Amino acid sequence: MLRLGPDHGPTILALPALFEEANRTRTLLVAVLRRLADHGIAGALPDLPGQGDSPLPTAAARLSTWREAAAAAAATLPGPIHLVALRGGAMAAATIAAASGWHLSPLTGAEQARELRRLRAAGGSQDYAGNTIADAMIDDLAHAPLPDGARTRVVRLAGDPRPADRHLAGAPPWRAAEAVADPALADALAQDIAAWIAG
Amino acid sequence: MVPEGMNAVEATVRDVLRDVLSLPQEQVDGFSADTELFGALPELDSMAVAGVLTELEDRLGIVIEDDEVDGEMLETFGALTRFAAERALV
Repeated sequence: MLRLGPDHGPTILALPALFEEANRTRTLLVAVLRRLADHGIAGALPDLPGQGDSPLPTAAARLSTWREAAAAAAATLPGPIHLVALRGGAMAAATIAAASGWHLSPLTGAEQARELRRLRAAGGSQDYAGNTIADAMIDDLAHAPLPDGARTRVVRLAGDPRPADRHLAGAPPWRAAEAVADPALADALAQDIAAWIAG
Repeated sequence: MVPEGMNAVEATVRDVLRDVLSLPQEQVDGFSADTELFGALPELDSMAVAGVLTELEDRLGIVIEDDEVDGEMLETFGALTRFAAERALV
């Protein structure tokens, strides 16, 4: 688990986007956590089992183990804990008692499963953009609700017409095959998160 | 707000191609109806097509069924814009 900033709370527990989107958004997410650490706010970025540097094969990833891992990570961190989830990462947060939740461009489990199936079809039905994902995991996601915590903020990017507490300018890095650094977007997201958890 | 009107749909298609394919603004600004896309733009591989379709759905508030997708609607910028407009402008 990547840790940044001070060793006292509040701590931001960051939940990455899922599968290929996790790779595409990691640079942005780490950039945001670094900016928050520079503001004196601690951050923690776990690898969900089967993603990132986790030793578990991607094919063994299941939503229940993600939730256990996220809860186990939360238990080691100094509180209060504020969740920051990118995209479908919010689905791993269902069992964590956090002071607040902040979601960037969340999507429902059904939407996530549909996107993954489309990606699989585009790749000749072999795998999901290079990831082998169990059918059971796709099924887990298809039926997963988003956490409905009492205090949650939703931020989306400017082209996305769906409702949000705020829309910020920027291109969605989870769609871009080639990572494009966007320091202005990282600045804006970090400022929004810092103001949110201070409020 | 979901874009309405042919010009807004065309601008959205341009933005989606820029953002998904990481193309420079000047390049997408130069797209006209007969600019060739699939097969002509190296960035537009089959994975990127999936991203373009999903991002168009998100931004235009439409649903694209996979059996509606064929080579023809991806052939040119004009064809893709018409395809999107037929679903977005009802």
